[in-house]
Amino acid sequence: MKSRIVSDLLQQKILLLFFITLVIVGFSACDILNLKDKVDPNGPSLQALSQNATKDEIANVATGIESGMRVDINLYMVDVGMIGREVYRFLASEPRFTGDLLGKENSVLDNNTFYITRPWRARYAVVRNTNILIESAQNSTELTDNEKNGAYGFAKTIQAYQLLLNLTLTYDNGIRTDVATDNLGPFVNRQTALGNIATLLDDGYSDLNNAGGAFAFPLSDGFAGFDTPATFKTFNRAIAARVAVYDAKYQDALTILNDSFIAPAGDLNTGVYSIFSTASGDQINPIYRNPDAQSGDSWVAHPSYITDLEAGDDRINKVFQRSQTATLDGLGGDYGFYVYKTQTDPYPLIRNEELILIRAESRIQTGDLPGAVSDLNIIRNAHNLPDYSGAQTESALIDEMLKQRRYSLFGEGHRWIDMRRYNRLNQLPIDRTGDNVWQQFPIPAPENA
Amino acid sequence: MKLKLFYFPIIMCLILLTTTDILHAQFKVNGTVTDSKSGEPLVGVSIVVKNTTIGVTTDTKGNYDITVPGSQATLTFSYVGYISKEFQVSTQTGTLNVQLKEDVLGLQEVVVTGLATSIKRQNAANSVATVSAKELGGTTVNETIDGALYGKISGAQISANSGAPGGGFTVKLRGVTTINGASQPLYVVDGVIVDNSSNSAGLNAVTAAAAGGSSSNQDNPTNRIADLNPEDIQSIDVLKGASAAAIYGARASNGVVIIKTKRGRIGAPKISFSQSIGFNSISKRLGVRQFTLETALANYAPPPGAGATPDEIAAYQARKSFVESLYNNAEQNGFINYENEMYGQKGLLSNSGLSVSWGTAKTQFFVSGLLKNEDGIIKHTGYEKQSLRANIDHQVSKSIHLSVTSNYIHSTSDRGLTNNDNTGVTFGVSLAATPNFVDLRPNQNGIYPDHPFNTANPLQTRDLMTNQETIDRFIASGKVDINLLQTNSHIVKVIAEGGVDNYTQQNKSVFPRRLQFERISAQPGTSIFNDVTNMNTNLRGVVLHTYNPPSGQFTLVSQAGLSINNADQNTIVSVANNLIGVQTNLDQSASINTQQNRTFQNDRGIFLQEEFNVKDTYILTAGVRGDKSSRNGNVDKFYFYPKASLAVNLSNMKFWNVKDINQFKLRIAFGQSGNFANFGAKYTTLGPSNIGGYGGILIGTTRGTEGIRPEQQTEIETGFDASFFDDRATLEFTLYQKRITDMLLNRELEPSTGYQFETFNGGEMTNRGIEVGLNLNPISSANFNWVSNINFWKNTSKVNKLPVPAFRAGGFGATLAIFQIEQGQSASQIVGIDPVVQGPDTTIVTRKLGDHEPDFQMSFYNTFNIFKNWEVSFIAQWKKGGDNINLSQLLFDLNGTTGDYDDTDFNTTELRAAVAGIQPGDVNGVKRTKLLGVSAAQYVQDASYFKLREVGVYYNLPRTTLNKWFGDNVSAIRLGVSGNNLITISPYQSYDPEVSNFGTQPVAGGVEVLPYPAQRKFFFNVKIDF
Repeated sequence: MKSRIVSDLLQQKILLLFFITLVIVGFSACDILNLKDKVDPNGPSLQALSQNATKDEIANVATGIESGMRVDINLYMVDVGMIGREVYRFLASEPRFTGDLLGKENSVLDNNTFYITRPWRARYAVVRNTNILIESAQNSTELTDNEKNGAYGFAKTIQAYQLLLNLTLTYDNGIRTDVATDNLGPFVNRQTALGNIATLLDDGYSDLNNAGGAFAFPLSDGFAGFDTPATFKTFNRAIAARVAVYDAKYQDALTILNDSFIAPAGDLNTGVYSIFSTASGDQINPIYRNPDAQSGDSWVAHPSYITDLEAGDDRINKVFQRSQTATLDGLGGDYGFYVYKTQTDPYPLIRNEELILIRAESRIQTGDLPGAVSDLNIIRNAHNLPDYSGAQTESALIDEMLKQRRYSLFGEGHRWIDMRRYNRLNQLPIDRTGDNVWQQFPIPAPENA
Repeated sequence: MKLKLFYFPIIMCLILLTTTDILHAQFKVNGTVTDSKSGEPLVGVSIVVKNTTIGVTTDTKGNYDITVPGSQATLTFSYVGYISKEFQVSTQTGTLNVQLKEDVLGLQEVVVTGLATSIKRQNAANSVATVSAKELGGTTVNETIDGALYGKISGAQISANSGAPGGGFTVKLRGVTTINGASQPLYVVDGVIVDNSSNSAGLNAVTAAAAGGSSSNQDNPTNRIADLNPEDIQSIDVLKGASAAAIYGARASNGVVIIKTKRGRIGAPKISFSQSIGFNSISKRLGVRQFTLETALANYAPPPGAGATPDEIAAYQARKSFVESLYNNAEQNGFINYENEMYGQKGLLSNSGLSVSWGTAKTQFFVSGLLKNEDGIIKHTGYEKQSLRANIDHQVSKSIHLSVTSNYIHSTSDRGLTNNDNTGVTFGVSLAATPNFVDLRPNQNGIYPDHPFNTANPLQTRDLMTNQETIDRFIASGKVDINLLQTNSHIVKVIAEGGVDNYTQQNKSVFPRRLQFERISAQPGTSIFNDVTNMNTNLRGVVLHTYNPPSGQFTLVSQAGLSINNADQNTIVSVANNLIGVQTNLDQSASINTQQNRTFQNDRGIFLQEEFNVKDTYILTAGVRGDKSSRNGNVDKFYFYPKASLAVNLSNMKFWNVKDINQFKLRIAFGQSGNFANFGAKYTTLGPSNIGGYGGILIGTTRGTEGIRPEQQTEIETGFDASFFDDRATLEFTLYQKRITDMLLNRELEPSTGYQFETFNGGEMTNRGIEVGLNLNPISSANFNWVSNINFWKNTSKVNKLPVPAFRAGGFGATLAIFQIEQGQSASQIVGIDPVVQGPDTTIVTRKLGDHEPDFQMSFYNTFNIFKNWEVSFIAQWKKGGDNINLSQLLFDLNGTTGDYDDTDFNTTELRAAVAGIQPGDVNGVKRTKLLGVSAAQYVQDASYFKLREVGVYYNLPRTTLNKWFGDNVSAIRLGVSGNNLITISPYQSYDPEVSNFGTQPVAGGVEVLPYPAQRKFFFNVKIDF
């Protein structure tokens, strides 16, 4: 029986071999089995953008950068505003704001909680977009060399600004500055990071100097007056001046300021902003909240803002006297946070007022005390206050400069950073026994640093 | 057409194959084939000369007439549902009358072995579950196909996501087979891969369910297999693991459900009309808390603490007198049981079916229609379906057979607003906030009072809102069988089949301005419109070669072919807010937000298979399938899925002489299958991000994985099948192990990349299980026939390797218990917080508190035929173990409205009680509320159950009576009563142990947050055959 099966099989096998050969020939003879590698129909793919982006697509990436800078800035503001004792963010369902951020009792800043992970990632998402812009501009056949330089200059400037915001959170823990590819560079310390950011700004500045008369992409009204390479580079220098003072390079700061949009006689609010709207796909200002909202979901000015304010200072307008005291978790305040008065009020990236204060600070630090006083008086007078009448000493003027920065830049994310730069975190008010003032955030856990 | 070009050389070649068989003498045999029990003639019995392709079928009177070549031969008589018989015939035979015996134990069932082949169960090397039309719908009326499979498939965990009309089921075959991939079986209807997606209605815009602890959708969607009409189904084969499902390659990891619809029969038109009328009701009431004035005040107007300000005291006084007035009012006008008010409707159920089957020897038709109209147990909810089917078979010529199926379905379902929310608007969540002493009913003018303790008045929401899903679906397929070559030893066939599944799903949800919660919103009035269009197309070509050598020692079946599947889906959901007046069109609003999402899938497969059968003693099968897909990173790469199996029928060997064991077969099977990554896993896509009127694009949270591969499943299955005592009992025993490697997992990325997640292949998990099936026909006499089918199955899963830290896979956080995927643990484990003693301290840790997977399941299916005309059948299912996360009870407790709030029988451990500060006198509600934040153990509840799934009692009018009443006009009338889920016994402390707040999930089934409660159904049935 066995041999019978084998012989039958052999007969069959010849047929089968023939049959398989035919099938294989059949398959290879036609392209019915071929698949096209289609792109995602739901949005532009990274690969397509980086290889052969059109001019319009490059403009979309640039606009996305501008738009992305606003993502989670409310969390950034909660972080720096609460630790800097400028505002309280009361949210009944979120005890970590009044717990962890104020260092209540045993609470510490966690390295895997949204208050650090989200704003941190949002900034790096914009950084990624700026790197995409650089790559797609490089590979684009539709841009002129000038337009390419404009794209590089814009991308590097914004990238530097975004990196600086993350560095303000983690401070001595450092940040990654080399993130252009998926192969990430190491964490670098604060000094190195500030140096890298300054270099990035300088590179961007030189790109902008070779960028012709116009960008290849539109900028929103938030950049009104700063939307050509020639004007945008004054914004680049303004950020560079901020970086210089953060790095205590005051002489450099004074030089850099000359190329910025500083205008001692001009409107203090001149500057670059993130704008908001209710249009489709746009964002509303996430920091805005009705200043008289229920305690359980409100932004409240730190009580010391009012108590420390000089009489007559018009910066009282940045707070709003509530009809009821807001209280939560053993904290309270009678004034609502009122820097952003509607859900579409713009959020400043940097303003003329800060530049004047940077010049004042740099002048103090380089020994030009009369010059500093004159700068401080510009600010004081603008806010309905008389000229500075205190001691003309370096330390007294630093006090005054920090005070003016506190009030002029209230709700723009500076107080904590300024006090930290001058080693004065211990001077920030403690509201509850056992609270702590943190120096910096831990590096987010998913960084595996 | 390219397909034709491809086949052309093969066809040409095969035609050229020469044969040398010469026909010699021939003779005729004729006779009648009847049922051995009833003596009724059998129509369409197939009579084939063994080892040839010569065959005929019986006519409408059961007569046949066959011409047999040679001088003697063996005739095989076979008929669906009957045991085949063989007879030796010769020129002397002349007339041969044959009686066939009904195959009550399914010994002769045919199961799928390849894309173009099947095999008698007796020879099968796999444990393939088969459900016949009778098992599927013979006992009672089922709403959906997946619902009709309850308790009928061993190895399956089939669970309703809720009791909402229109379906919504989770089907798991042999355990959790994926964590992030598609989790439902592949459904193939008459060769067409049909879509079974769950497309949510967009209700999250109102419920904000995804805004809280879980970002998952909680819209309670149906899954689209619900559209098919269960009564159109002839049989269902369920391929439970890769060893059988490898024939479907890269899409088969979750198993394959192969559905065949009914075909026309040869003979005069057979018209069958069935009508069922019934009603449903909530299957279990939880009861409501009976408030006293004291408990009402304690709950709704608690006195202020010491040191309260005068303002606070005044506010308390006002609240107290308000609650008192509500309570006094209720004492006068009556307390209201809101559970009855909301879930108390006895819905009317109506199901009408008409089918016509007729045909000549050349052409057969089957046409059926269905009208279904089912009310829900909540007012204004229900399900309506109309379905029309036409299936045509035509023998074009001696060698070409054509069959066409077509099915159009229209359905609407009103599913209400249930499950979790974060806005207090769903029926369940509002109900939990409603004590029995408030009156929310509308006044004479139809004005609904505002709910004093909640943002929504559930009666108003129920009466004025709309959440309607409309489906229009067309499924069609065509198949051509061409016999290219037919000799005594060779049969070569080409089979080409193709099909299309096209549907539009529209969900219209309207929440008018006057609803309490809309009125107080910033933009009152919400209209949500969701539109999904889906198109699946399939094409498959197979060349099939059967070789019967003249020696008759073996049969060799070879098949090779290719398959092409394409699927496209387009979803547009628009949410309009601030509606103008009572208008509901999207443009009649002050603001509108639209989102569109498109997905596609293109698959190309090739396959080759050999089946080698040595005299039904050794049956060896080996095959391989290669698949490539647009879902893979590399779309040009074929992934290969081999399979091999061996069945050895010991009882067919010469030495076998065990008298009481008719058949004994050992079998072993191995196979591999895959599962694709979710759409988009390979893309890095930038999303819209606009500013200042300019359109911008920004990277999203997901980084695409360009090299993403399918998940890989390898299954080994082994067991034996035995048949005892003259086929009065059969036993099927199966062990399996599934190993899933290259799992699709999500990895958290360093945020400085700008991204948050990417999908990658890694890790490994296994499912091991046992399935035992026992079929018995203990009593078989003319007046009493009893068939019993008992199944036992058990599965355990384990995550062997997990290259990422343990992660959560559904739920609302450890405080409320949550599913957690963790190396070394079951894939369906539930963890939660719980206090433990560690040295001198008691600390609250997160630890395992339960497992959703049952310890085992059993099903019992019994049919009794009594005095010929009576038929009683029932299906019962016992699920032992398997935990749910019951958060309905939590929400009732937090609102103080639980039915057992004031009882004292709730127990917990001493440690938990001590940590939670539970006092001896505390009532249940207080005890459980105190445990919130201390332990999650009270939410993890045993969801074991025993359910009487289906029961039916039928009477078939005797033929003599029919003749007397109707003459020849009516051939059968069947009357009966039936029920679904009439009895549920379960320790679970909510409506029903079958529930899933997150819908159809790979892992996180069994989370309950105030669902649409389960229903029980009762029907009166009439069926008339003309």
